[in-house]
Amino acid sequence: MTAPDLGDPAPGAGDPGAGDPAPGRQRVVWRPDQVLVQHDIPGLSDLRDDTTAGRLLLKSFVRAQLGLSLMCLTFALTVTASFPVIAAMVPSVSRITVGGVPLTLIVLGFAFYPVFLAVGWFYNRHARQLEVRFTSLVDPASRRPDA
Amino acid sequence: MPDAAVGAIAFVTLLTIMVGARGIRVARTPDDFMVAARQVPPALNAAAISGEYLSAASFLGIAGLVVVQGLGALWYSVGYTAGYLVLLLLVAAPLRRFGAYTIPDFAVGRLGSRGLRQTATALVLVIGWFYLLPQMKGAGITLQWVLGTPYWVGAATLGVVVSCNIAMGGMKGVTFVQCFQYWLKLCAIGIPALVLLIAAGHHSSPNLTPDRAAVFTRATVVTMTQATSFTLPHAAATTVTGLLDQRTYRDQGVRLCACRHVAGAGTRIGFAAGAPVPVSLAMEPSSGDSWDSPFLTSATSGAHPLAATYGVIIATFFGAIGLPHILVRFYTNPDGEAARRTTLIVVLLLSSFYLFPTVLAVLARTQAPQLYLSSDSDSIVLALPTVLLGGLPGELLAALVAAGAFAAFLSTSSGLLVSVAGALSHDLLKRGVTTFRWCAITAGAIATIAALLIDRFSLALLVGWAFAIAASSFCPLMVLGIWWRRLTRIGAMAGIVIGGGSCLAAIVSTMLGVSASGWGAVLTSQPASWTVPLAFGVMIVVSLLTQRTVPANVGQVMLRMHLPEALSRQAYRAAGQAPGAAGRSRGQR
Repeated sequence: MTAPDLGDPAPGAGDPGAGDPAPGRQRVVWRPDQVLVQHDIPGLSDLRDDTTAGRLLLKSFVRAQLGLSLMCLTFALTVTASFPVIAAMVPSVSRITVGGVPLTLIVLGFAFYPVFLAVGWFYNRHARQLEVRFTSLVDPASRRPDA
Repeated sequence: MPDAAVGAIAFVTLLTIMVGARGIRVARTPDDFMVAARQVPPALNAAAISGEYLSAASFLGIAGLVVVQGLGALWYSVGYTAGYLVLLLLVAAPLRRFGAYTIPDFAVGRLGSRGLRQTATALVLVIGWFYLLPQMKGAGITLQWVLGTPYWVGAATLGVVVSCNIAMGGMKGVTFVQCFQYWLKLCAIGIPALVLLIAAGHHSSPNLTPDRAAVFTRATVVTMTQATSFTLPHAAATTVTGLLDQRTYRDQGVRLCACRHVAGAGTRIGFAAGAPVPVSLAMEPSSGDSWDSPFLTSATSGAHPLAATYGVIIATFFGAIGLPHILVRFYTNPDGEAARRTTLIVVLLLSSFYLFPTVLAVLARTQAPQLYLSSDSDSIVLALPTVLLGGLPGELLAALVAAGAFAAFLSTSSGLLVSVAGALSHDLLKRGVTTFRWCAITAGAIATIAALLIDRFSLALLVGWAFAIAASSFCPLMVLGIWWRRLTRIGAMAGIVIGGGSCLAAIVSTMLGVSASGWGAVLTSQPASWTVPLAFGVMIVVSLLTQRTVPANVGQVMLRMHLPEALSRQAYRAAGQAPGAAGRSRGQR
């Protein structure tokens, strides 16, 4: 699909804004790898130039990501780290056996790993969704091709 | 017997060298040497990360510790896996997007300070060397067990092989080596575990509830490899050959009382089926009724097992973020999304691996309890196959285990040596491939010599200490640096120095045996439970006090770390920069 500048005579085609023919008019040259650059993305330049609006936008996004991370972390830590406390307060817990196998062996040897995998899978899914949502908020046109 | 094992170890080592040598032709620029030119797909990268991560402690240390001290030692394997989950949640994607090569690079790129670079580099060296020691020790005892060579031969062999391999191939070769070694390690522990489990199932139904003192399930002759003092839970009739309690016997029946005994080196004591298993005094094993307790029970934490358990949990959960040889691997992911996918696969690969040390430990405890009397806890896994299975099958399995163990030492120490040598050449001396090569050789030599001094500490404990130092220095730096705009270089420096310094001081005082009992012993032998909060606290408070020194470019840096690739590619292309420039900038230097 890439057929870059086949006999493209346009000066400054790879550099929009540099060779504008006249103020108020923009020369549009279609090239497959340039299609994303040509439309104007105000949110993106706000972000890039660190304006107040851009900073606020980024801050809310980072906060959402951090919230997701901390939620998953709290869940994983609560599930794992509560076991010693419970066993210390209720000593009979460590005497429980399931079909001849001590509960401690089941929990420490096997049971935590699926929990870690589930939390990681949940996090990856939602972190990705947050990113997609943020991308389409900043750049609505990005919803088109592969986002 | 040792022939098969020697062959297997030699095979693994040669294969490592050959795959590494293939890297020489590929690696040309310093970029190639440092992070494999960033072209590694997630599944391959995840196997390489796991291969690098699963060290001597995972392969030999944890199972041995579980046999001797009880199920509470499984917290190490839970924590080593959870460390990657925490890494995924807190740093994986932003760190990859930031695009620095090493932790010192990250510190300088984020906070911009020369002093911070030197402090961080010094800490990379401390953690790296601390982590190299147990690998060398593992190699020492493996060769000692297989060949009967002195301890230093194994340590020196590993040092030479790894240093030369790194100096020749850099990391491009190592990525393939690491990936291969994950699968080798999984087979080398998985196959013996399953075969022995099936074999044990034929013999008897294993007693998995050892809340009473362990007994021999069949008549067993225990051979003391060194002079050992032990006790018996109750009296037993035995057959003794050799020196026992200052008397020499020659295949004579002796009734041993339930009291303390001293056996000379080479003494053989035959126990009948159903006789109690002796408890070694030097090995500080758990008493019979606490083997299934969920706490870490050892002599140093004896009085406060709960505090020791939480010390290990905090150190291992948060330590993985701060390990220098692990972070460098994240830059071989193409983007942040791939970094997250890679990390989740790593959690899966680690979870699968850690099922097997548990199986081996339970087998050793229930089927061959004599092992923890006559040998070092770290060699129990090596000895188990020949004890449980006689003849050729046992020998072959033992060879497989020895090869896997050697693969573990090779891969972890390769990764560590890359980052230690990288820190030395990249951050302290002048950059370049030649400097990197000499640094690799020097760093390997130093680690080998230091390893000769630490052979009395268990592998899991030593690795746990490296995690504790990382958790109380680099972990707060990375987490706050990524998520908190107001971090300042003075705050970061104070946190690293106070957190990491106090952790290191506590560990060194334990190694020297300063505080031997009570709270002091727990808080110095498992210091993470107080040094990690301390490091976070100091970093936050000092940063808040020095808000005027917040770097001016913090907005740009935060953007680079958190902006999804779909946007950052456009942002920087539209701004007229070369695509990918954001990911490749190396911090201000």
